[in-house]
Amino acid sequence: MTVDLSGGTVTTTRTEPTAPPDDRRPVIRTRGLRKSFGDLEVLGGIDLDVHPGEHVVLLGPSGSGKSTLLRSINLLERPTSGSLVVDGHEYASGTAHPRGTPVRLRRTVGMVFQQFNLFPHLTALDNVALPLRSVRGLSRRDADERAAHDLDRVGLLARAGHYPAQLSGGQQQRVAIARALALDPQVMLFDEPTSALDPELVGEVLRTIRAVAESGMTMVVVTHEIGFAREVGDLTVFLEHGQVVETGGREFYTECRTQRARDFLQAVK
Amino acid sequence: MDWSLIWTHRQELIDGLFVALRVSATALVVSVVLGMLLALLRMARAPLSWIAAAYINVFRGIPALVSVIWVYFGLSLAFDISFSVYQAGVIALSLLYSAFLAEIFRSALTAVPPGMREAGQALGLRPARIFFSVVLPQAGKIALPNIGSMFIGMVKDTSTFTVIGLLEVVRVTQNLVSTTFQPFVLYSAAAAIYVAAAFVIDFLFRLVEKLLSSPPQGRLARALRARRRARIEELIVTTSDRREPAAV
Repeated sequence: MTVDLSGGTVTTTRTEPTAPPDDRRPVIRTRGLRKSFGDLEVLGGIDLDVHPGEHVVLLGPSGSGKSTLLRSINLLERPTSGSLVVDGHEYASGTAHPRGTPVRLRRTVGMVFQQFNLFPHLTALDNVALPLRSVRGLSRRDADERAAHDLDRVGLLARAGHYPAQLSGGQQQRVAIARALALDPQVMLFDEPTSALDPELVGEVLRTIRAVAESGMTMVVVTHEIGFAREVGDLTVFLEHGQVVETGGREFYTECRTQRARDFLQAVK
Repeated sequence: MDWSLIWTHRQELIDGLFVALRVSATALVVSVVLGMLLALLRMARAPLSWIAAAYINVFRGIPALVSVIWVYFGLSLAFDISFSVYQAGVIALSLLYSAFLAEIFRSALTAVPPGMREAGQALGLRPARIFFSVVLPQAGKIALPNIGSMFIGMVKDTSTFTVIGLLEVVRVTQNLVSTTFQPFVLYSAAAAIYVAAAFVIDFLFRLVEKLLSSPPQGRLARALRARRRARIEELIVTTSDRREPAAV
């Protein structure tokens, strides 16, 4: 995580800042973000900055709160307290910025789910075209053309007329990525995008996500694919029991500082 | 026993069936709308959901015969509103079946995986759009077979409306029996008519179910989506052409 000091930026742990140096305002900034389900505190005050173009990986054992953190960023989980600022608007209980509505937030932030969540009654093309029409207000004709273009970007143009049931898990996830990308989000959230896939289908989805990363998209990724995390993560945030245990740049995977993170990396290797 | 009576009076019996079907079909449309509203109310926050729960539990428990007498005679005595027998039949059925359909819709709406709503939300769709474009098409498909069973039940329940003089199948049968004294023959015909109607209704609902299936099953379903299919094929060609303009 970065610390702002008198206009300059001190990057404590990152080795390769990918964001342009003249634009250091984070797209996402959380301060003391908490989330409880009843008595159970899942997030115990998270501070996180995600800068434009940055690829942040959230790691941690199951139940560590990484998915809840990701889902809080687009308000699929409502934070109990704390501040969530996305693109200059406040979406939790902070007061320093103008408030934004959930719909506004979600039009800034795209999300890809573990279970793909394609709409089963629509073709691949219509899955992409539906939000283009109702969120971006495109005409049917323009939405169709844009959707075809976005399916082409993930290599699935030929499958545009297929229904989700006729696609493999990997193909469904790539359509889901195309559907989110089509809306031109400023940030993409990936919630364990390959965890529900057969092993031989993981590669194609990771290739697609890698291409999204290379296009300069700002991303927050929850994943168990350590190899992929190491490759794509400019910044890795290691969580446990709803707390950030350690934050590191690319060196996190070779020389992490906490024993807990070392144990985790050892266990998942 | 004179079985030829059925053929002689076929027109009256068929007319009776159409009266029953008209009342039931009208009541079905009303019940689907009311039932969906009740289901949403039932799933809403506490004080609202209680109203829906009370309605559902009361009207599911009332027999059609009681309902129609209450509407036709009761309301007219109490409030001086008079309905035609046809209107009274539609209202009586709608009151009961909107309660049943509310429960069918509630379970269908719950059966749509939460990930569907979440995907809609994450895409920035507004709640109404999520409901009509994402949740309802999926819930509708789940509810459809049960709606079919309810419709068969409605048609059968119209037989009780003979008490208010609606000229449906049973009333027609009773009238014929009173002049021919052949109850066994005529009531057998009535039974056959209900069974036949149930078969046809079941067939029609299966057809609609097939039409709505994704991917489309059957010739008719494919024909209905042929235009969209052609449009997508065209988009595949134009988009890949644009990608490689010099690839000759």
